[in-house]
Amino acid sequence: MIIAEIKHLEEVKQMLEGYGKVLNVGCGGCVAVCLAGGQKEVDTLNTQLTASLRTDGEATQIDGFTVERQCEVPFLAELDEMVEQYDALLSMACGAGIQFLAERYPHKPVFPGVNSVFVGVNKDVGWYEQRCKCCGECVLATTAGICPVTMCAKSLFNGPCGGPQDGHCEVDKDTPCAWIQICERLTAQGRLDNILEVHGPREWEGQTQSSLVLEQYKHRYAKDEGE
Amino acid sequence: MGNLRNAPYKIHVSDEALTEETDSMPKDAEIPVDRDKIKAMLKRKKGRMKMCLAACAGCTLCAESCFLFMGNEQDPGYMPAYKVLNSLGVLYRKGGKVSRAQLEEMRELVFKRCALCGRCYCPFGIDLPNMLSFARSILRSQGIYGMYPHSVGSPEAEALGEEDNVRPPSAE
Amino acid sequence: MYDLVFGPLMWLTTLIFIGGVGYRAYQLVQLTKKKDRARCPATAIREDSPEERKFRPIVRLQNSVLGQHPIMAIVSFVFHVCLFAVPVLCLGHNETLYQFWGICFFSLPDALINIMTIIVLVGGLFFFLRRMAVPRVRAVSSTYDHLILLITIAPFMTGFFAYHQWGDPRTMIIIHALTGQLMLISIPFTKLGHMVFFFFARCLLGSEFSFGRGAREWAT
Repeated sequence: MIIAEIKHLEEVKQMLEGYGKVLNVGCGGCVAVCLAGGQKEVDTLNTQLTASLRTDGEATQIDGFTVERQCEVPFLAELDEMVEQYDALLSMACGAGIQFLAERYPHKPVFPGVNSVFVGVNKDVGWYEQRCKCCGECVLATTAGICPVTMCAKSLFNGPCGGPQDGHCEVDKDTPCAWIQICERLTAQGRLDNILEVHGPREWEGQTQSSLVLEQYKHRYAKDEGE
Repeated sequence: MGNLRNAPYKIHVSDEALTEETDSMPKDAEIPVDRDKIKAMLKRKKGRMKMCLAACAGCTLCAESCFLFMGNEQDPGYMPAYKVLNSLGVLYRKGGKVSRAQLEEMRELVFKRCALCGRCYCPFGIDLPNMLSFARSILRSQGIYGMYPHSVGSPEAEALGEEDNVRPPSAE
Repeated sequence: MYDLVFGPLMWLTTLIFIGGVGYRAYQLVQLTKKKDRARCPATAIREDSPEERKFRPIVRLQNSVLGQHPIMAIVSFVFHVCLFAVPVLCLGHNETLYQFWGICFFSLPDALINIMTIIVLVGGLFFFLRRMAVPRVRAVSSTYDHLILLITIAPFMTGFFAYHQWGDPRTMIIIHALTGQLMLISIPFTKLGHMVFFFFARCLLGSEFSFGRGAREWAT
């Protein structure tokens, strides 16, 4: 899921200075699961902001409302009637949700309450770790489920560099070398010949905005031939 | 653990749904419930689940932690305890001997009324998300799934008048 | 009757209570497993900013049960403290314990025990009214819940009556002992088992809400 990290109070406070009524919109999706932008975080942040702004002499009213997900139109539609009475919106969703919210209400300033940091997993309570960089060309089939883009500091595709010491990356002695791990796991699975396959240079897509339409739904849309 | 918890928030199952004979019945209703499968699944987690279900005191302190409860005018039908007791609780109480209609009732509770955001609070430390997720697995084992607004057969898709949201490639 | 209640039945109750509670605790240990303390990278830790650190105590209070449900939290806490203190620290019980088994705890003054018993009874009334009147509590309630409350309150009520000699003292004492025994044996097998479950789940299991580290997790 998408892991986000709540922004520090000072930064959010600065964004909201001067706005009389703000709606803090939470999200029940990824950000709620990783304890960054769910209902509880919305309430907590509202308390802190109201008190902190008051000490600066700002009488800001901050209300909160959490929707199921901010990346889906039917769930955002719930907010339509509410939004008009506010001067600005603060969104605790991931970057995608914040932008979708801003797109739906282009006449209202929409501010981000969190930093979206990575696609990752929940290792333990309150501990999240990156596993994927959305490169668009997954090679996990050949690397025994260990991502060389994410887990290797240099994102190498054809085996380790000359740097590992004691199985650890030369960049950080606490980080295991991804390729050594890949080789160990491939060996355990009897698939070590995978590393004989040479991966050529990549397209490295994802540098501009990506879009994806599924085959079975393409009939719903008129094609925009574009560039 | 007593009878099914109180009525006002219980989803009404029509009489038609309970009989086997009407033509207007959706095809799925003809598929019998695999009770042995449900029983086997219930047995696997029996110790943990039964303990958690027994520990629930019905204090309702979990309610405010659910954003869907708060966003639906504090409708008790959205309380985490309500959802779990009327899905997994019913499954354990009936020993898996449930009808398809009852499972469809549970679908509303565990798929539509819950986002599995995992933030339910319980003063006793009962792990509600895990119990709800388990109820979902049991429903899935009987072919009952959650629906997204754009899924084939969803109420939203049906309202749009699209019988078949998805046209297979061969129809081009 | 007195000899039956204070003799074999008392032994039986003690056996079932201690055995039952012990079994529940054992079951919880069996159903969970220890989790070794994992090492996380120091650089991954997000520290509070100075402004956030300032608000940390207020935030903790707001997010706690006291902040979210102040009345319920306070009533429940006071009720439970008295619920445990009264049976263990009342003179009547300590006298009886000493008479039968030669052991006793220290005793609180009778006036205080009186007040604490009234607190338990008022608390019980509060919970009863809440369960009857508040719609959302009604939604998850049944006869079972009222029965359990009755079983819990009965020993305190009959004990209060017996102490104040309302009704025939001998009969009242026997009813008090029977209801007390009923409550004790109900603890391991009903939702009163939250006595054990609460401490295990909130202190030993790791979660967003655990007190302390929470070094165990469910095994299934």
